Order: sequence, then structure tokens, then C-alpha cells
Amino acid sequence: MQLSKVKVGQKAKITKLNIQNKEIRRHLLDMGLTRGTEIKVKKKAPMGDPIDIELRDYELCISKSDLEQIDVEVII
Amino acid sequence: MKVGLVGNQNSGKTTLFNYLTGMNAKIGNWPGVTIEKKTGIIKGTNYELTDLPGIYSLSPYSIEEEISRKFVFEEKPDVIINIVDSTSLERSLYLTTQLIELDTKVIVALNMADILERRGLSIDCKKLEENLGVKVCKISALKETGIDELVSEINKLEKKSKSKIFDENIESSIDSIQKNINVPHSRFISIKLLEMDERFIKLNSKEVDNEREKLSKLYDTDLEEIIATERYNFIEKIKKECCKKVEIKQGITDKLDKIFLNKWLAFPIFVIIMFLVYYLSVGVVGSSTVDFVADKVDSFGLWVSETFEGLGVSEWLNSLVVDGIIAGVGAVLGFIPQLIILFICISCLETTGYMSRIALLLDKLFRKLGLSGKSLIPFIVGSGCSVPGIMGTRIIENQDEREMTSILVPFIPCSAKLPIIALFAGYFFENNAGLVSASLYFFAIIVIIISALILSRTKFKHTSSSYISELPEYKIPNIKYVAKDVWDKVIAFIKRAGSVILICSIVIWFLLSFSFNFEYGVEVEDSMLASIGKTVSWVFYPILGTNNWGATVSAVQGLVAKEQVVSSMAVIAGLSEDVESGSEIFADGTPFSGFNKASAYAFMVFNLFSAPCFGAIGAMKRELGSNKKLIKTVMFQTICAWILATITYQVGSRITNIANLIIILVLISIVICILISKFSKKSDGCSGCPYCDNCK
Repeated sequence: MQLSKVKVGQKAKITKLNIQNKEIRRHLLDMGLTRGTEIKVKKKAPMGDPIDIELRDYELCISKSDLEQIDVEVII
Repeated sequence: MKVGLVGNQNSGKTTLFNYLTGMNAKIGNWPGVTIEKKTGIIKGTNYELTDLPGIYSLSPYSIEEEISRKFVFEEKPDVIINIVDSTSLERSLYLTTQLIELDTKVIVALNMADILERRGLSIDCKKLEENLGVKVCKISALKETGIDELVSEINKLEKKSKSKIFDENIESSIDSIQKNINVPHSRFISIKLLEMDERFIKLNSKEVDNEREKLSKLYDTDLEEIIATERYNFIEKIKKECCKKVEIKQGITDKLDKIFLNKWLAFPIFVIIMFLVYYLSVGVVGSSTVDFVADKVDSFGLWVSETFEGLGVSEWLNSLVVDGIIAGVGAVLGFIPQLIILFICISCLETTGYMSRIALLLDKLFRKLGLSGKSLIPFIVGSGCSVPGIMGTRIIENQDEREMTSILVPFIPCSAKLPIIALFAGYFFENNAGLVSASLYFFAIIVIIISALILSRTKFKHTSSSYISELPEYKIPNIKYVAKDVWDKVIAFIKRAGSVILICSIVIWFLLSFSFNFEYGVEVEDSMLASIGKTVSWVFYPILGTNNWGATVSAVQGLVAKEQVVSSMAVIAGLSEDVESGSEIFADGTPFSGFNKASAYAFMVFNLFSAPCFGAIGAMKRELGSNKKLIKTVMFQTICAWILATITYQVGSRITNIANLIIILVLISIVICILISKFSKKSDGCSGCPYCDNCK
């Protein structure tokens, strides 16, 4: 499923990066969003966008439209 | 010896830089961009330290990364100090793995050692050194510990061992490519070549293409993803070996964000905080400091004037010094206390971490216009005074968003424009004066939105519509850091903006005091400014319906300070400059008797949107960086103003009924809302800088 659909407090593992834009894709890879990385959705901005996720001991806010292009597997 | 300071944003880089260089840092911009470059000498040594922009990687995509790469390759530093936030070790080491691929000596400074202890975490420096192959020092820039050892490491000979980060297949590919590359930093370049880095495309070859294809097939994805994933695999291995978690203590950041980012509380809290910032910087507190300084400057000017008279100095020289120079300097000084308060507010918002939350809250909305969520703050402050408003755009990282905001801030009616509104609205619209004033603010917001849409599709079409940003932990602001930050910004203002304000004030003084015969002390009507006004007054014809040199001159005087428009009109009407009543200024017989409702509104529109006062122009110069951009901006604003004022007058003079007008305005607003949703930014783009080949 898309990372943008993961609920607050849920953990997920990244399975695929489908990001069209080369620059954004590279930036997300650089920030640690690689295949197999475990992330946790911590908060969402009041209007639902951007979304704050926790990974690799830090927090990153990413716009919903970018998260829609990342596939994940939810970890129970 | 040249040293480069490299690290992520929020790693404490600036704190370390300030501590190492003290007060002797030189602040400028990197060539071609408005990104700050700080250079200084490390205290107690003759090492030159350059602060590089906060980066997370050395990819070829952003200006900041390109600046850092250029620095390493062209300025050839002897040492790179890589400052690492030890509380975010995993992510921070990503940049480190790339730095150690360069030939330059690297020293890793693990910062925030104090916080690490508090959190019950520990890092084995020796193991980390073994794995990375470079020297690792533990420091706390805030608590000022471990820094002497760090500095002493700079001079020591490097015992660097090449660490193999990637797995066998990739390492062997790198080796075979590296054999054919005979320039410095060959390992770094080899890896970048595998990633198809455009900057090194000249060194590409058939062999490289083969290796790339081979690996790509093997790992079933492109090289950028392979290499990034491998780096993090390596880092995860190191982390397991070197880090020990004794006890997990939860910080207060999450608890605070439950309040600050709460669905219901977030916006009300934000409004309160914004009100506080406004109140302090441009409200009662800020404006009283402006008045205070203005008073002092006036008394000083008076004293000088009288002293000069006593000494027999000629009148024109006396006036030049007092009305030209001292008044001009006074104008600059007048802004400073206000700017100090504003910068303190902004610095606190930034260092506490709340600024990132503001960007988060407003981002979605503003991004549609090509602006940042942080753009709101300059607009709010700008409603009091454009100068601190424009200076406040420093908080926006993206160059295009920052420049666009600087250009649009003057469109908001500032407090200096209020006397103009009071005069015209009060006299021509009497009972509806309040409604008319409010309509002007509304008008301003619509103009800003439309201008933003136009600018973001033409001049500034490179802003990406993506939001990727770290949410830092909440911290208590460090007073030393805030003080230094405020000091740096104020000095920058005085240097760049101050000169513009001073020179322009003197020029206007000159044009107003002399006639073309170089006679001093003439009536306004005979001055050079008036003559120029008379020849140019046809420009105002479509706005006013008549050729009115008085209005032209007053508008020009508005460039010095918008408050001067009214006093200028009073003087031209033959009255004392303190007169503010419409019945006197617009009475029969004065050059302004020809004004009517339509031309009054149109003239207000013109003054509201035209080029702002010299103070704001000076501040814009500081933010835009080049004279060319400044002139383009001033022309853009003035032409907008002219077009809007003309439309206002031409339409207004044909409307006979207020009800018609209001209905038409409502219809226009609806059309605008539709336009916004249809044309708002949806496309992605690069950052549009002169660093990669796309935009050169």
C-alpha cells in the first residue's frame, strides 16, 4: 500500500520507491528512505499534509503527494 | 591552512563556527546565489575556516550540495571537519561516508555529546574510528567541550585507512573504474560516475557504462538506489557495533507537538504567537522605538543647524548636512531598534524549533502560490513596516521562494501608508472611510495572490512543489547564539540597505531644494523635482484624469518615506507640512482641487503598490543581491501600481453607484478563487540555479 495511507502510530517497511522526479527520489534516498527501511508515522499536519514520519532515529516531514509514490508493507 | 566545516542542518554547525571564529567572521554570499558564506580565522591559530551550507549528501541536485562540491574541488581545503549530530548518528553518517571517499583529510566531530549522555546513549569512538578510517572527536559546541582537542587534530598528520563500504561486486567495479581516472578524489568520482553524475560526465567511458549495466542487472534497480542503500547498510552495521542504548528516555518534543500541531489548537496558538511577534516588532513596542530615535535625530539635527547658523555656515550647506545627511542617517537608524526586536523574535522562533512547525502548518496553502509556509511571517510583519518584513524573508531557505516573498511584501499596506489612506478616504468617502480602508487591504491580498501566481509561472517557475524537511526537537534558545545572530543581521542591514537609503535621501533633498538655476531655497513649485514632476505628470493622467504635477511630486517624495506623501501635498498646497486635513488640502485653489472619489481611490492604489520607500528598497537590494534584480523588481511593482490605479480610475469614474461596485468586486473575487485552484503550482522542477547544465 502507499505510505501516505499508513495511519498515525503504525509502523511499516518500505518495499518500493516509485518516485518520478529524479531530484526528489535522490533526496529521499539520501535521507534514508531505502528499501527495507522501517518507518513509523508519527504525526500529520492539521490539514493532513505534510506527514511526519520517524526513521533511523530522526523525524522527517514529507508532503503527501511524495508519500503516495512510496510503497510499504505495514508491520503489525 | 584551509578548513571546511561540513554537516547536516541542525547539527550545531553554526554554534561551532561561532565558537571557533569569535567575532572575526566575514559574511558574504557564495558567487551567483544569495546563500550565506561565512569565513573566519580559528581563534589562536592561523587556520581559515569556511562554513559550508547544511547538506545531507553530496549529490548533484541542489545548490547547497553543488556549492560544497565546488569548494572541495576548486578551493582545495586541507582539512574537512564533518560535524555530526550524535543523536541522529545513522542519518548523519550518510554524508560522512561520502566525505571519506574524497582525498581530503576528514575529522569527524561528534557534537551534542552532552545530550547523548542525558539520553542514556553512548558511542564507542575508537570503534567508529576503526570502521570509518578517520579520526573521531567528541565535542559539545554548546557546552564548549572537546573543542581544543578538535583544533589540535587539524594539524596532525593523517593516518587514514581506506575503508571498504560497499560489497564485493560494487567495490570491484569501483576499483576498475578508479584505475583509469588520474585526477584527485578518484574514488569519489568513480562512485559518482556509476551514479551517472552529470558534473563528471566528461570522465565517463564505455568501461564505466559496462560496469553500471552489470551492477544494475545484478541488483535489479538503478545505481543511485543501490549505492544509497549500500551506504545505509554499512551505517547500520557500524551503529550495531559502536552504539549502546542504556535507557530510552522520551523527550518532551512529542508531548509539545501534541499541543502545537494539534488539529484544534495549532492555528489559534499560531495566531497568538504571530500577534505577539507583530506587537513587539511593529506594534506598540516597535513603533515607540522608531519615534524615540526619530526624536533624538530631530533634536540633534536642530542643534547642528543652530550651531552651523552661529558659525556662519551657508544655508544650503547647513540644509545638506541637516536635512539631507542627518535626516538620511536618521532614517536608517530609526529602523534599527525595530529590526533588533524583530530579529530576536525570529531567532527565538528558529532556535526553539517552532519555526519548522509554522512552515508545516501553512506549507500546503502557500506552496500553491510558489511561496513557502514561512512566507506568512514577513507579510504579517510587513503590515507594520516593509523594512523588517523584507529582512525577515531570511528565514526562507529556498532562494526563489525567498526572493518572491521579498518582492511581494511591499504590496501589503504598511503603517506609513496609513496617513495617505486616512487623508483620501477620510475626505472623499466620509462615512464609508472604514469600509474603503478595509477594501484596500483586501485588494492588496488579492494583488499579492495574483502576482504570486504570475511570478511563479514566469520568473520563478523552478520551485518544486515538494516538501521534505526535518522537524527538529524543541530546544531552549541559546542567548549567545541569538545575540550573535541578531548582531550579524543588523550589521548586514546597515551595510547594504543603509547606503541605498542615505544616497537616495540626499538626492531627493537636492532635487527639492534647488531649482534648475542652482538657486537654493526655492519654493516647491520652482524646484527641480517640481519641474521633473511637471514634465512627467502625463504619466499620472490616466490615473487622475488631469495633469497634476503636485500629485506626481508627492508620489515621488513617497519614495523617501510614504508618510511624506501627505506632508508633501500639504506643502505644495501652500500650507504648513503638518497639516493633515482634507478640507484644507483639497480646497479650491490648491493644485489638488481637481481630485474626486475615483481619482482619490486610484491615487491611493498607486501609492500603496508602487515602489516602496528607500528603506524597503534598500532591504530588497540586500535580499535580492543584485542591482539588476532590484531595478526589475522596482519596475515590476511600479508598473503593477500604475496598471491597477489606471484600471481603478477608468472603471471607477464610470461607476455611479456603490452597490454596482461592490457586486463587481465580489464577482471578481470569485473569478480569482477559481483561477487559483485551476492554475496553482502542480508541476515539479529543479531549483533553477546556475550550477548544473540545465539552466546555464
